[in-house]
Amino acid sequence: MNAMIDDETLDRQLREAAPYIDDEGFTARVMARLPATRREPQWLRAVILLGVTALGSGGAYLLSGGGRFVREGMIQLSSFPIWLLLVLAFGCGLLVGAFAVIFAIRKTPEVRDVTQLRF
Amino acid sequence: MELTDADLIARVLGDDDQHAFGELVRRHQSSVRGLLRQLTRTDIALADDLAQETFLRAYKNIRSFRGEAQFSTWLYRIAYNCFREDARRRKELVGVDDAQLQAEHDPQTVDPGLRHDLMHALSLLPLHERTAIVLCCQNGLSHDEAARVLDIPLGTVKTNVLRGREKLKRTLAAWAPN
Repeated sequence: MNAMIDDETLDRQLREAAPYIDDEGFTARVMARLPATRREPQWLRAVILLGVTALGSGGAYLLSGGGRFVREGMIQLSSFPIWLLLVLAFGCGLLVGAFAVIFAIRKTPEVRDVTQLRF
Repeated sequence: MELTDADLIARVLGDDDQHAFGELVRRHQSSVRGLLRQLTRTDIALADDLAQETFLRAYKNIRSFRGEAQFSTWLYRIAYNCFREDARRRKELVGVDDAQLQAEHDPQTVDPGLRHDLMHALSLLPLHERTAIVLCCQNGLSHDEAARVLDIPLGTVKTNVLRGREKLKRTLAAWAPN
């Protein structure tokens, strides 16, 4: 009878003895049984988004007295110095651009993976 | 660059990307099927059915995976639950009768041709010890992780691993050529 082996040797032998099981179509069978994705079609999302935007704009136009506040706002803006208008425009552009970049990263897996690179 | 499990899970969650889930299945199918083959005592057809069920449940419940443990540990837990539910359905005892175990474990009754066959020796262990050995020694889970997978106290896992190891060592020592 042999001497008993130690824990480490036994564990190593167990790991080595466990065969790698070839896929042999297993993944395909699982994938075939996955439930269909239930996301609404892209065109429907676009229609809903445009519809809500149009409705909101129309409501805002009517509630603001036919755009009276907008006209007054524009008149006020025209009295501002040009450098302040430029700063405002640049700031707004920067804000919108930042949101667009964040949204793009969140929605695009390839870009998101690049941002998660670890060095 | 190869994506990590976390990256793939993020794709499944964010974009409902089934291809990403397919990659997760490809990566973990061998260890999950291996665990289930050990649990079902190498009943390959049943083990593969349970493995399919495991991955389907994982897909349906992937939002409940919080990333606190490794994805493989989470899969082992689902696999073990699938196995237990199936065993209950089949009205089989989960575990092996002690007398039966003793008979199986007795080196005198073991076919001499199976000497050094570690996997066979493993399959002779009672279920609770076999499961603990497969998870901890073969798949490298910590005792704590195995306790979470099996939903049993940490001390029980340690005892099962200890007893399983001792039985394997004795069996292997008895099988070794003189």
